[in-house]
Amino acid sequence: MWTIDGQGAGRRLPLHWFLVGVPALFLLVFFVLPNAFLLSASVLKSENQVLTNQFTTENFTIFLTKKVYLLTILRTFVVGISVGLLVAFVSFPVSYFLVRTRSRFKGVLITLSLAPLLASVVVRTYGWYVLLDRFGFVNDVLLKLDAIQERIAFIPSTGGIIIGLAHALLPYGILTNLASLSAVNPNMERASMSLGANRTKTFLLVLLPNCMPGLVASFLLAFSISISAYATPAILGGYAAQTIATLIYAFIMQVLDWSLGAALGTILIVSTLAILYFSFRFGGKRAEV
Amino acid sequence: MFGMRPWTVLRAVVAAIYVFMLGPIVITVLVSFNAGTRSVFPPDGWSLKWWAEALSEEWIDPILFSLQLASLAAILSCAVALPLAFGLTRHRFPGRNLVVLLVLGPLLLPTLATGLGLLRVFEFSGLIGSMGFWTLLIGHVVICIPFAVRTIAVSLHGLPSNVEAAAASLGASRMVVLVKIILPLIRNGLVAGALFAFIHSFTDINLSLFLARPGASPITVKILGFLEFGFAPTLAAVSAITLIIPLVLVLLVQRSARLGDFIYGERGA
Repeated sequence: MWTIDGQGAGRRLPLHWFLVGVPALFLLVFFVLPNAFLLSASVLKSENQVLTNQFTTENFTIFLTKKVYLLTILRTFVVGISVGLLVAFVSFPVSYFLVRTRSRFKGVLITLSLAPLLASVVVRTYGWYVLLDRFGFVNDVLLKLDAIQERIAFIPSTGGIIIGLAHALLPYGILTNLASLSAVNPNMERASMSLGANRTKTFLLVLLPNCMPGLVASFLLAFSISISAYATPAILGGYAAQTIATLIYAFIMQVLDWSLGAALGTILIVSTLAILYFSFRFGGKRAEV
Repeated sequence: MFGMRPWTVLRAVVAAIYVFMLGPIVITVLVSFNAGTRSVFPPDGWSLKWWAEALSEEWIDPILFSLQLASLAAILSCAVALPLAFGLTRHRFPGRNLVVLLVLGPLLLPTLATGLGLLRVFEFSGLIGSMGFWTLLIGHVVICIPFAVRTIAVSLHGLPSNVEAAAASLGASRMVVLVKIILPLIRNGLVAGALFAFIHSFTDINLSLFLARPGASPITVKILGFLEFGFAPTLAAVSAITLIIPLVLVLLVQRSARLGDFIYGERGA
């Protein structure tokens, strides 16, 4: 008879086997298997919108040979890098302020900086439409100031996607930088200044090296989320500025071409894995539970 | 301590960033009270008509659908996460790191790909015709598990394993230890884990995008579908409702459990 970690007769089945085994099975079936299916579909040929069992590498070569697709892939990574940089550098001063401030509103300010996480991306992107649209607020203001003569369509555009995503991912950057900055002892900065270094030197030589891991981590986090984001590019980029995610949606839900959709999905998975490898290897961040 | 000037500059920069962060969200809410028929800021006067429309059946149904989906996803992912977190924090066993990767996987890999893969699996197994609430729920539980496990693990780390040993040595059975000792002590972690899972599910788009079906569509996907036809102020009002729900929940939970501990703990663990 099997018993669980007990002293009963027969074979002993360790308790953790059950605790971990059953949920792990769930994840194997509904997380690992789907991703494996997706990866395998990327090297299978589609005929008349049905996936066959024929092996092919065409699904990938088509992206490299057709200019439209190549441009879409390039745009996605340009968006990822720009959003990553923006998030890292814009969130840094906020985190620094939140760590060092003695304001009695510190708690409120931290909460406010994380509050956008409660809103779905739809809520967070809607406002940008109202601001950036051809008949939107920014155009109105620029016209009034005589800065422009004619209305400009700021969206749909790649720039719109970058602004929208950077805005949506800023809280992640703040959280990541908060963690690394709160580990830096403020006395180090005072020591550096008292030893004659000026502010710039103290910042570049003392503060920055110490919080580099946080900056790198926030860049990588924002990069990896933004290359596979769907809603913001769909709203602010539209057909004029497609990304991998919006192209996948078009392939799968409109053209019903699983091969090409899966190949693009594979590109996303592989890029994300590369980023993860990079961040574990160089960022010194370890995944732990 | 630093002299006035650089700190003042920093304050101004940070204030500007806060306006950038919160501005578009506030604008969305304000636009929903617009009297005109276009979504413009500043609004051309005030009215509640878009809210009346947002509270009609057409929009309340998908909101209720999302509420059910997110609540069940939160409860189920915590039910799956509790034994996992327990096994991972209290036991060291070969292959443990692999299990950790498996558990964090849905957080690390693109959700979009997981959604796509699930759609492929459901198609392959012939379930495509009967896709709906249940298939969405499975996907949502998958993507919520990492949040639930990490949050519950944080509270288990804070609970010395002596407590369990003490209870057991005094004759309590495993079940009694779990129900009478462990669960009450990690209550906050469980509540916070369920809350994070709820929010993650309620605000998700990337997964639901591929698993939603007409009549079984979360509110986020439904709004997104309508945005293609234009930015009607009704959508701003509906969006505002989807913002209020998690906000109210957080405020309610914050009164009893300190969520900040888990957010920091999550990062630091």
